[in-house]
Order: sequence, then structure tokens, then C-alpha cells
Amino acid sequence: MNITEYYGQTITYREALRLALDEAMEQDERIIILGEEVGRYGGAYAVSQGLYEKYGAGRVLDTPISEAAIIGTAIGAAMTGLRPVAELMYVDFAGIAMDQIANQAAKIRYMFGGQIGVPMVLRTQGGPGRSAGAQHSQSLEAWFMHTAGLFVAMPATVSDAYQLLKEALQFDDPVIFIEHKGLYTSKGIFEPGTALPFGKAAIAREGSELTIITYSGALRHCLAAAEELDKLAIDVEVIDLRTLNPLDVDTFVESVSKTGHALIVTEDSLTAGVSAEISARAQEGAFDFLEEPIMRLSGEDIPIPVAPELELAATPKKADIIKAVRKILRR
Amino acid sequence: MIKDKYNFEVFSKKPIKLMSDSGEWLADFELDLSDKQLKEFYYDMLFGRLLDERFGQLHRLGKVSFYAPSSGHEAAQIAIAKAIDWGNDWVFPYYRDNALLYSSGVPIKDIMAQMLGTRLDPAKARQMPSHPSSKKLNMFTAASGIASHIPAAAGAAIAAKIRNKGEAVITTSGEGATSEGDYHAGINFAGAQGAPIVFIVQNNGLAISVPYHKQSAAENTSLKAHAYGMPGYYLDGMDILACYYLMKDLLERARAGLGPALVEMKVYRYGPHSPADDDMRYRSKEEVDAWRKKDPLLRMQKFLAKRKLWTKKQDIKMREEIELILDKAINEAEAEGFAPLEWMFDDVFKDKPAHLLEQQKMLLED
Repeated sequence: MNITEYYGQTITYREALRLALDEAMEQDERIIILGEEVGRYGGAYAVSQGLYEKYGAGRVLDTPISEAAIIGTAIGAAMTGLRPVAELMYVDFAGIAMDQIANQAAKIRYMFGGQIGVPMVLRTQGGPGRSAGAQHSQSLEAWFMHTAGLFVAMPATVSDAYQLLKEALQFDDPVIFIEHKGLYTSKGIFEPGTALPFGKAAIAREGSELTIITYSGALRHCLAAAEELDKLAIDVEVIDLRTLNPLDVDTFVESVSKTGHALIVTEDSLTAGVSAEISARAQEGAFDFLEEPIMRLSGEDIPIPVAPELELAATPKKADIIKAVRKILRR
Repeated sequence: MIKDKYNFEVFSKKPIKLMSDSGEWLADFELDLSDKQLKEFYYDMLFGRLLDERFGQLHRLGKVSFYAPSSGHEAAQIAIAKAIDWGNDWVFPYYRDNALLYSSGVPIKDIMAQMLGTRLDPAKARQMPSHPSSKKLNMFTAASGIASHIPAAAGAAIAAKIRNKGEAVITTSGEGATSEGDYHAGINFAGAQGAPIVFIVQNNGLAISVPYHKQSAAENTSLKAHAYGMPGYYLDGMDILACYYLMKDLLERARAGLGPALVEMKVYRYGPHSPADDDMRYRSKEEVDAWRKKDPLLRMQKFLAKRKLWTKKQDIKMREEIELILDKAINEAEAEGFAPLEWMFDDVFKDKPAHLLEQQKMLLED
């Protein structure tokens, strides 16, 4: 395949992910995909569609429904020379395999004195938006961010979906790659050349009065809010973190130092969540420049309900963000 | 089920043995091990026993924080070690494989450095004692979580199947591990893939203190193989020759692409689960003494003596030599001193991200 043929085209987030897998598999024979129905069926969210036909059952493995087996065998394959991409259908199911993720994948390199690593990518998806309830809608990134030895990527755009996955596939350490179920059909212009490297946050929108720090599915709500605020002559900057480990503290500290105001928007639960970590780092780094307390908008501390109106209310949306920005700026 | 070349019975009711308790060869095929090999089998078992006893001493001296006693498991472990094609096969051991570890060829000073957590440890003193590893020998560091290593072993076997270069995977555990979800997850997928792996259960009848009949209603763990679509074998784990011949055969079959197997080696653990455990609260001294009479070293001594390959005098000399080797290794490992603070942030990732560089800088500046 020639990836440059897609440059400048409008494609979906799902297609961008597939392009990254396809291109990487062509370039590196060590890459295999394994997961529940990733092969003949093409994946629950159709990301790996067509790859089974192209690369065969030896490189795209349909597995038993066993998260511990999918992730555990990926770890063993990675330790012995392959570069597996394990697909976990929902991040909620990480609970079934958390020992493999946190006690094995994350710790093997350290416990082995650096003699071997676990070069694997765990692709999964999370977030609310499909009335899928308490066990299919969570945002559990803090679990992984809290565990030493795991890189965590959460792409929000088409180009980042491709760019971050391509980079993750070249890493010698495990990467938890969390897609957002609400973004698979989202479209964007495919311009991977302009994407920043893994570990760098992007300034998704430049502004001067307040910094919104966000990532993944919440980015679109923040950008929509910023547009509305612009009409009210309120100029906000929006930072897309892109990866949570490494966490690009410098970029958001610099922005908050410039604007003097910060709002953190995440879909995970508020208490002891990602927003708490970002808030602490922003406060440490930009204390002298802060004009108001840092504010956080995150998911309520509840399981995600199924009823659509309740699900919508459980995580921050455009109106909540506008209200919070105006409250901080008192305008 | 495929019949193996020595016609070991699949899913036998009684544990298979090739050597009687008094040391007679029972098999109907010819013993094809040289005198030198037979003596080496015994030497390695003896070394494993004395190594285990030395770990106990080091613990009592307060020099190691933990160890998993292995005395009673030597025949099973040395048989496994002798059947492995080290460097070609992939090995996922568990924490009680002290004798297997010695026989693998890991230098004894490395073993001691790992136990003592000194600078000489190739794993940089990061892993709990009794969790050895060796990159050179394709031996992966043991997991503390019971059966956590089983899915990884299955994954290594699937990778070996994809490479198709005649590699086999060996993984060991106690019988307690077979109760874990991860055991089922790993062995089930390996079965579905027909991956080249042999799962070995060293059944010592106790999951820490819980007896086997409270762990499972299956008569023995080899029976579980049936449900995973692979042959299961029930062996006398105190019989090094039965364990060796079956392992050799199963690994050759796995390397040839003939699929996985599950083996139970029935053993007994003379020591407690770990030094933190008082085993006299859950079993009697009489029970331990009865098993000691079936000791795998004793049986091999009788077998060798019948062939004029063992005398009490030689044994005493061997023990003295081994103790000197252990003394020397401990001295070498200790002489290097403990792992330094500078190593602490290495190998969390291959390259240190900014936040770790910053944390390291702050720690070292203090």
C-alpha cells in the first residue's frame, strides 16, 4: 500500500486506525493482531476489517473470549520476539485481565533487569455515548496512567489515530492505546505529516484568556464550546494531551502561564481521576501566573447509566464547558 | 490421542513409574542413558537439595527475605531441566524451581546474587528471591501471582508455532495454579492453537496449606487435559527416569508440531510453603517422615548402587564439594555489594521518559 495516496483525503477515525495497522503489518512481519473476532469478522468496531483476508490466520488470530488469554498470550509473544497488537473489545473488560496488564506487561522489563521488554500494543476503546451501560461505557485511563511501566495513548483526531498507533507499534514497551467509541465514524482530513510525536500535547486551538486541557472524546465538546465562546468574545486555548504517559506537562504549564486560567475537561470520574493529576501539575508549574483556582469538569462519580438523558448528563458536554469557562472568567 | 514412542499411558489411574522404590528398572524398553548421564542426574538432584537447604540457612541468617523450599521436588525438576533444549526452547518456571534452576546452567553465583539482591544479579536485584531468570537460556522470570505466567507461556508457544522453527515451550507450576482463571485461559488457548508447549504440574498436594482434596474434585490434575483436547499424563514425580523419558518425548513431539500436553508429576514438599509458613499446623511430622522414605535421591542412590555407580563414601565427598561451591558463590555475590540507587529508575521503560529523569534527578540530589 502507498499511504501517501490518502494524504489530504477526508477519512474516518476507524479508517485511519486501519491504515496504521495495515501499513505497519506490511513493513514489519513481527506484527500480529489477536483478539476476539478480530479476524474473519473484522473486529467489533470493524477496525481490522480486511486484514485477515490480506495477512491470513497466522497473523490475524481469532481468540477465545478470554481477556486474560488475549493479553497474556500477547505478552508471551512479545517477550519472545513478535510485536503483537491485542484488541480488548471494551476497556471495561480490562478488569478480567488486569493482572496480565499491571503485574506482567508493565513490570517484566523492570523485573528482568532490562534484559527483555514487552513490545505490544493493547488496542481498546472506552467512553460513553452508546447507551451501553455501566460495564461498556467507562473511561478507565487513570488505572493505566497510575501503573508504572505502561505508555498510554488516547487519540482524538483522524491524523492522531494513525500517527500515535504507528509510533506505538515501534515502541519496545507496552502501550495502552485507548480509542473512543464515539469517534469511530468521525471524519477529518488525513494529514499525518503535521501530527506531533508520541508524548507531545497539541494546541488544538490557540487562545489567550483561558486554557482548556482535555483529550480523547471530550476534545470535540471543548472545541465546540470554544467556538460558542468566541462569539461572546471569550478567547480560549484548547490543549489536546494525546498521550497520558508520557504526560506533556510543559505544554499545558506554558499555556496556563500565558492565560492565567485553567479548566480541565475529562470524561473519567472526577475523584482521583486524570483531572486531579493534571490540576496538581498545572498548579505546581504555573502557580505564579494563576489568576483563579484551577477548575475541573469530569464524569460524575457514578456508574454510567443507560437512559440517554442520564448518560448525557453523566459526563461534561458543550453547555457545561461554556458555563464553567464563564464562571472562571466571571463573564 | 497420539501414542508416544514409549507407550506411556494417557490418563493413567496410578502414577507412572519406571523405577521401583528399591531402584529396579521397570520399563519394557532399554535404558539408553550412559553411566555418566545417570551420575549427572543424581549429582544435579543432590546439588538442588543442598542449594535449597542453603537458601534456608541464608534466610535464617536474615540475608534473604524469602525463598520457596523445593526439597522433594528434585527428581521432577532435574528431569525437566535435562529434557529441555536450552537456548532453543522457551522456559516459564515458577518460584519453587530451585533444582531446575541449578540444572539449567545459570551460573551459581548469578543464582546467589539474585537471592541476595546484590549488584551481580543480572536482573539488577529487582525481583523477589526465588524468582530467577536468564535471557541467554530463554528462561523468563517467575510470576508471584499464581498462574500469571501461564498465558504468557501459551503466547510464547503460539509465537513459536508462527515461527515454525522447532521450538518448544515448557511451563511449570504447582497444582494450586490449576485453580486459577489464568491457568484455564492459557492452556485452553494453547489447546485450541495446537501450540508447542508442555504444561507441567508439580503436585505436592498443598496449595500453601490447603490440601488437594479441598482444591479440586478431579482425581489428579492431568485429567484436566482431556477438556483442553490434549493428552494428560500422571507421573511419579519422585522417579527421575519416568519424568525424564516422558518429558523428552513430549518436547520432541511439540517441536515437531504435534501439539501440547499436560503432565502431573506427583511430588512432596518437605519444607513449608515459604519461611513465613508453619507447616506443622496443617500436617504431621509422621506424614513428612513417611514421604522422606520415598525420597527421590534415595531411590536414585539405590538405582545407581545396583549399577555400581554410587557409594556412601562418594556421596559424602560430593556433598563436601558442593558446599564449597555454594560458599564460593555466596562470597562472590556478596563481595559486589548491593544494587546502587543509580539503577532504580532504569528499565521501567527502555528509554527514560522526562518524568522519570526528573524524579531520578530529585532523588539523587537529596
